[in-house]
Amino acid sequence: MSSSAVGAEAPDLVCQLDNVQGMVDALTAVRWKRHQDAVVELSEHGVVLIVEDTGCLQAKVYLQRELFVRYEYSAEGRPRFGLSLGLFVDSLNTFSVPGHSNTIEIRYPGPDMQLLLKSVDSPDACIYAEIRTRIPETISWDYNFEPAGSTPLSLTVKSAALKEAIDDLEWPGSSIQITVQPVPPSVTFRGEGHGDLQIDFMYYVNTDLLIAFHCDRQVSYRYKYKFLRATTSNIPSSVIKDNRGSKLTIGRGGMLKVQHLVSVARPSIPHAHIDSAGYQQPSRIAYIEFFVKPEEDEDTINDS
Amino acid sequence: MKFKAFLTDNGVNLLEKRFLPALDKMGRICHLYLTRDHTIFLHNLLNGDGIQSIAQFRKEALFDDYRISSQNDDRIAFTIDLSLLHRALRSSVSIYTEVSGNFGGGTTVNRLQIKLVKKLPPNCTQPMPFLTFESKGYKSAVIQDVPISKPLSRADVLELQSALDMAQDMPRTLVQVPDMNQLQNFMDRMKHVGDLLNVSISKYGDLHVQISTTLITLGAEFRKLLVIGEQAEVPASDRNLSAQSRSERAMQRGDAQSVQVSMKHFAKSLQCHLAKPDCAFYGIAPQGACLTVIFQFYIPGSRQTDKSISLHCRLPVLDPGSN
Repeated sequence: MSSSAVGAEAPDLVCQLDNVQGMVDALTAVRWKRHQDAVVELSEHGVVLIVEDTGCLQAKVYLQRELFVRYEYSAEGRPRFGLSLGLFVDSLNTFSVPGHSNTIEIRYPGPDMQLLLKSVDSPDACIYAEIRTRIPETISWDYNFEPAGSTPLSLTVKSAALKEAIDDLEWPGSSIQITVQPVPPSVTFRGEGHGDLQIDFMYYVNTDLLIAFHCDRQVSYRYKYKFLRATTSNIPSSVIKDNRGSKLTIGRGGMLKVQHLVSVARPSIPHAHIDSAGYQQPSRIAYIEFFVKPEEDEDTINDS
Repeated sequence: MKFKAFLTDNGVNLLEKRFLPALDKMGRICHLYLTRDHTIFLHNLLNGDGIQSIAQFRKEALFDDYRISSQNDDRIAFTIDLSLLHRALRSSVSIYTEVSGNFGGGTTVNRLQIKLVKKLPPNCTQPMPFLTFESKGYKSAVIQDVPISKPLSRADVLELQSALDMAQDMPRTLVQVPDMNQLQNFMDRMKHVGDLLNVSISKYGDLHVQISTTLITLGAEFRKLLVIGEQAEVPASDRNLSAQSRSERAMQRGDAQSVQVSMKHFAKSLQCHLAKPDCAFYGIAPQGACLTVIFQFYIPGSRQTDKSISLHCRLPVLDPGSN
């Protein structure tokens, strides 16, 4: 039994996850087209995956170490590597066969710098994957989101309503103007093109749709429809089912930040014995952030 | 050339609910080969490159009052469109159950007859062959004609028969897949990753499937499966190795075989589950000629194999692999 370690050093990361589907959901949320390169950054706090598109749209998935049942990090600095997001999601998805508990082990790097995945919960059936990684490209705009002014301009909308509104705006055209104003407190999505469509969320009218609202001055920016759409096109169904909200923040220069929360909790087993302490699983959430740059044309109405 | 028979209730049920939906997924067009004792549905036996599937029924499994005659040793073969056959059968069944329901069933009057006919279709000068379903009711009869090809010539039938004989070679080692749904679920997800699938089967009862491209290797290993045929003990030194190294070592020892097949073919072969088999065995034919999947059906309410029904698939091998 010569199972001596391949390398003398411990791998940078060995972690185990007991809800693969949650991770698939979280990563799928940032998969807005077929071929996407992602950069993964490892740290003692967790795993961050970053994707971007033409320097105008960036998305980050934060998988904090609390989501993992085991997280052994032994690297110095923050190792980064690139991989194909599609392959990563498709192979993770293979591990999440319904009706089975799916605990997987993720390990980096393998002998050839691969990302290694392995199912660990069944001795007689093993699924494994080795994904080739690349030296990451430098992220073209490593983003510092700064609030504009003293108070952050933010609002929280039901994720389902936000998705529905953005889906509806497909019809008018390629550019969508978002206006947030304090009086009356409301946010307006307006598309002009083949026709115009305006969708208003009024804070006092729809407190169950527009959950929170912070705005002390009117701002208005235009965003490319395809980038806005990317922020909600693949919201996992669990987010809608859990009736969660998404937070929109507009920062300096009109940078739009959209945040979603995706549950990575172990699916509760119905009719399971409730243990004496009435133990409930602490909520395990993956954070997803999109950053969308505004369009830069002359007739953009800026902070007024 | 004559063929005439009555489909039994069991036969109707087998074809309509189970085999025709499954076989339709293998390919819409297939050969239907009728002999004195058997009815056989054959896919891709005469043209080499697709997945071959062979579904064979003893005549008693489907028919009673079975009459066949031809100058070619009472064998008749033709090609037929399975979706048309399925449609005709489905609608005949609905009429037939309606009628037999009204009249208490059990009577021999309301039976579903199937026969080979030649008819002159409208706007045609040449009579064409059809497989006809006739359901007789109390006052009416409903006839459905399914167009078929001209019956195969004597030479073609011989060729079909010899291809069928050739397709009977058994792998030396077969492993039983315990959970067909799990394998299907797994393949449904795996097929997004690549087009070529390496399958290796060992005498220890291991089934190892793997996709390997320049960007990714994704695989699954199922161990300790039931083995039929040649088997061997797992060497103790192999127990703690990774799936890949275990397969490699088993192959070097001559205890395993590996072939590469098309992912599309493999996924298609899993569609045979629509025929509701009771178990499935995977094996590699001698010299790595093909990947064979054998489905077994139990006599209802028992664990005994129903010998009157057989279904197996042969997946063409894309690369002979390393034996």
